[in-house]
Amino acid sequence: MGLEATYNEQELVMALKARNHQAFGYLYDKYSGSLYSIILQIIQNPTLSNDVLQDVFVNIWRKIETYDPTKGRLFTWMLNISRNASIDLLRSRNYQDGQKNQELKGNVYQGVQSTQTNTDAIGLTKFLVKLRPEHRVLIELAYFKGYTHEEIAEIEDIPLGTVKTRIRSALMQLREFLK
Amino acid sequence: MNTQEYISSGIIESYVLGLANPEEVIECERMCAEHAEVLAAREAFEVQLETHLFRQRAIPPRELKSRIFSRIGMEEVELEQQILQKKPVLVPRVGFPRFVAAASVILMLGSVLLNLYLLSQYKHSIALYKELVESQAQLANSNQYLNAKLKLYETALNEMKDPRMEIVKMPAIPTGPSASSLATVYWDTSSRAVWLLVNQLPKPATGKQYQLWAMVDGKPVDAGIFDVNEGISFVKLKTIPRAQAFAITLEKQGGSETPDMDAMYVMGKVTG
Repeated sequence: MGLEATYNEQELVMALKARNHQAFGYLYDKYSGSLYSIILQIIQNPTLSNDVLQDVFVNIWRKIETYDPTKGRLFTWMLNISRNASIDLLRSRNYQDGQKNQELKGNVYQGVQSTQTNTDAIGLTKFLVKLRPEHRVLIELAYFKGYTHEEIAEIEDIPLGTVKTRIRSALMQLREFLK
Repeated sequence: MNTQEYISSGIIESYVLGLANPEEVIECERMCAEHAEVLAAREAFEVQLETHLFRQRAIPPRELKSRIFSRIGMEEVELEQQILQKKPVLVPRVGFPRFVAAASVILMLGSVLLNLYLLSQYKHSIALYKELVESQAQLANSNQYLNAKLKLYETALNEMKDPRMEIVKMPAIPTGPSASSLATVYWDTSSRAVWLLVNQLPKPATGKQYQLWAMVDGKPVDAGIFDVNEGISFVKLKTIPRAQAFAITLEKQGGSETPDMDAMYVMGKVTG
């Protein structure tokens, strides 16, 4: 037995709510890689992703009091914090201004731009490549870009009902993929 | 929709991934609370998602961890400062009586401890004082005793050395109770007072006392009773104007009118 403490989920949550730094270190060591991967998939920029990961863990520390275990596992809660923080960044004015500059440059260096957008098959994106294109684009827009179903219906110019059906169908495929 | 259809609908996955709309969220939370198999399906998907993302994890730069820790450390300090700054009036109001209460409890405890200490010191001093008084009394007693003894000896010596004194030695009666007995009469030739020095006599049994007799014309006359003390026994007895001899018998306590001739210890004739 080493000196390093291990926790089950309930103990970990209790220790975090008690503001235990050691438990927070354990949480970081165990989950930072998984959360970093989802942040990278959404933001697709390592420097910005580093900033978001920092904010995510600071927020987890701040908001641990609001975590309710009846509504889901601790990881699910942290995953949603990570996704929301990443999407918030994508939608922030600073980021969008930066992207416009990138796009201008991208027009000049089209080769560079295309390799950047061509995401590595990590995390859930590994799953995305297995989906049919009409399913894949909806998951990308909904999960990785954070658009609402209504927004997607508008962007893709398809009925809202179809958006819902396709997304649910894609999610059932995800469940099979994860098994 | 029955639970099986609900589990196959994809709403659970939408809920877990944060893609569900507010109505779906409420519905899913209700279904999970009401149906164990829905909850089990949700948890199974959560675990699968967590496991998959853990396998696909990306390693963040090393320095991120310490940056996060320094940020939460600074936030804790800031939070404390904010609490102190935001409630400049409330803190004294709530805190001051508490502080006073805490301080008074501490002071009271301190005072109790000090009093206990002082009490023990006081008791110790009293004990010391009693000891001193006692030993002082003992010293005074022994001083008195020594003084008395010294006076007695002085008197005895003064009387004995006086040239007026006629000395009558009384050796033991050979057939008497104690053959080693000896006593001496110092008889003042001018005042006719009789002093007795006990050279050696056995300690009398309880209820018995020695008595000196003067033999005047063949008749014993009581010359006084005396005790045998430790050290020197030199006592002034009665005044005897005339006598031919002196003798000592052991009589009952307080003396007798006539001597018990069987209990005669010593006898000596007056030579002059």
